[in-house]
Amino acid sequence: MLLEATAVVMEFGSFRAVNGASLTVTEGDIVGLIGPNGAGKSTFFNCVAGDLTPTSGTIRFKGHDVTRATPEQHARLGMARSFQVPVTFEDMSVAENVMVGAFLRHGHRNAARRVADEILAFCGLDTLANARAGSLGTPGRKRLEIARALATEPQLLLLDEALAGLTPAEVRLAIDLVRKIQQRGITIVIVEHIMEVILSLTEHAVVFHQGKVIAEGPPRQVVDDPGVIAAYLGGSMKRVRTQIS
Amino acid sequence: MNINRIATIAGLLIIALWPLVVHDVFYQRVGALVLLAAISASAWNLIGGYGGQVSVGHVVYFGAGAYASLIVFTRWGWPPLAGAPIGVAVSLALAALVGTPTFRLRGHYFSMATIAAAELVRILASNWDVTGAAVGLMGPPVPRSVWDFSFTSPVPYHYLFLAVLLLLLWLTWLMQRSKMGFYLAAIRGGDRAARSLGVPVLRYKLYALLLSASFTSLAGTLYAVMVGFVDPESGLGILLSVKMVIIAALGGAGTLFGPLVGAVILVPLEEATNAMFGGGGTGITFIVYGAIILFVARFQPGGMAVIWRALTSRRKNRAA
Repeated sequence: MLLEATAVVMEFGSFRAVNGASLTVTEGDIVGLIGPNGAGKSTFFNCVAGDLTPTSGTIRFKGHDVTRATPEQHARLGMARSFQVPVTFEDMSVAENVMVGAFLRHGHRNAARRVADEILAFCGLDTLANARAGSLGTPGRKRLEIARALATEPQLLLLDEALAGLTPAEVRLAIDLVRKIQQRGITIVIVEHIMEVILSLTEHAVVFHQGKVIAEGPPRQVVDDPGVIAAYLGGSMKRVRTQIS
Repeated sequence: MNINRIATIAGLLIIALWPLVVHDVFYQRVGALVLLAAISASAWNLIGGYGGQVSVGHVVYFGAGAYASLIVFTRWGWPPLAGAPIGVAVSLALAALVGTPTFRLRGHYFSMATIAAAELVRILASNWDVTGAAVGLMGPPVPRSVWDFSFTSPVPYHYLFLAVLLLLLWLTWLMQRSKMGFYLAAIRGGDRAARSLGVPVLRYKLYALLLSASFTSLAGTLYAVMVGFVDPESGLGILLSVKMVIIAALGGAGTLFGPLVGAVILVPLEEATNAMFGGGGTGITFIVYGAIILFVARFQPGGMAVIWRALTSRRKNRAA
C-alpha cells in the first residue's frame, strides 16, 4: 500500500470539513476524488499533502506515519502536489521554477538544470523554458506546476483540480499528460469536478459528500450509485423518484 | 559583449578609480560613503531582496558591529577593526534570536517585529554604561599605529570598503546561482508552494539572515572605524534600517547590483542636501526618503533594475 489514510477528521472550530474519511491507494493507480462543492475533497487532500494537520486519524505513506509531517518532509519522502489555484514563482523563468523542484534531489546547479530540461520536454514546456512564469496563462501555469512537482521525482503525485478552468481541447491535452505521467510509474490522486475526466482517466473513483466517503469503486459503477446521484442532485433518492413519478 | 557586462565593467571601473580622479576631499568622502551604504544595503538585500523578508531592523547588526569595535577600543585599547569578529559573532547570535521567532510571521507583521526588536536594542544601549549610554563611544583620538586605520584622507577607506563590497557581491553572485539562490527566490515567490517542493523555508531564511547580519555588522565596524564615534542614534537609529531598505529598493531589491546603484543615487543626494542646508538638512533627508518610497512603491516596485532592463531590451528589439 503506497498511501493509507484512516478515519481522517479535520475540524475548523466547530465545523467538521472532513468527517472520518479513509482512502487507500496502491502503487501505479490513478485514483479520482470526486464530490459536489464543499464535500471536503480539497480539505482531505490538504491533510494528505501535509498542508493541514488533521484533528484525528492517521495517514501513512510508504509505511511512514506522516499524519503530522510538514509539507517539506512529504516532498522528501516522495509525495508531490499541485495547487487548486496555481502558485508559480512569477519572477523566475519556467526552467528556473522547475529547477527549484529538481534541487530537492540534485544539489548541483548543472544536475538540476539537466533534470529540469528533461521534465520540461516531457511536459511539452521546452519551448517556453526561458519565458517568465508570470507571463503564462492558466493552462501553462497548471502544466508548469505539474512539471515542478515532477522534478522532485515523486512516487505519488497529488493533483488538485489540475484541469479546472481549461477549455475542452486543453483538457484533452492535460489528460494525455496525466496518462504519460502514470506510464512513468508515478501513482496519481486527482481531485476533479469534471466527471468526463474521472471517467476517462481513473480506474478507481472515491466520492466525497459532507466530509465522508459515500461510495468508491470503478468510476462507471460509482456514477450509477443512487447515493452518489442524490449527493450531486441534492435530497434523497426517494424524493427524486417521487418527484419524477 | 552584451550591454550588461559593459555597463558593469564601466561602473566598477569608475568606482575603483573615483578617488584617484577626483581630488576634492568632499567628493572623495562621498565616494567612500556610497560604498559603505552599498555594503549595508547589499547585505540587507540577501534576506530582504533575495529572500523577500523585509527586515526594518537591520540596524541592530550594524550597531553590533559599530559598538563592538569601539567597545574593544575603550575597554582594552585594541584597534577598532579588531572588534569586527566580535561584532559578527554578536550579530549571528542576535540574528538567530530575532529570526527564529519572527520568521514565522508574514509580510508586514515580520517587518514590524524586526522594528520592535531593533528599537528594544536601541533603548537598552541608550541606558547601558558599557555602550556609553546616551553619550556613545569614541574611537582613538589620534592614530596610535596604522592598525587603528585612522586617516584624514578618505582614500584608504574607499579601498577598504571596496574590497569588502566586492567580497560581498562575489558571495552574493555565488549564492544567486546555487541551490540557495533558487530556494530563496522560491520562498519570495510563495512559502506554501516552496514547502510543497521540499524547500525547508525556515532554515533557508535563517541561512540568508545569518549571512546578511554578518556583513551588516561588518559595515557597522567599518563605519565606526572611519567616523570614530557611535551613539544610539548614529549606530542604532531606525533611520539607518529604513535607509538600507530604501537604497536596495531604489536600485532593485533581489538583484546583484541593485543596492550599489541605489547607493550611488541616494548617498550623493543626501550629502548634497546636508551640504546645502547644513544641520537643518536632516529634515530634508526625510522628505527625500518619503518621496523615494512613494515613487518606488507607486511606479516601479522593481526599482531601477526594471527600468534598466526595459531600456536595454528596447535597444535589443530595435537592433533586431
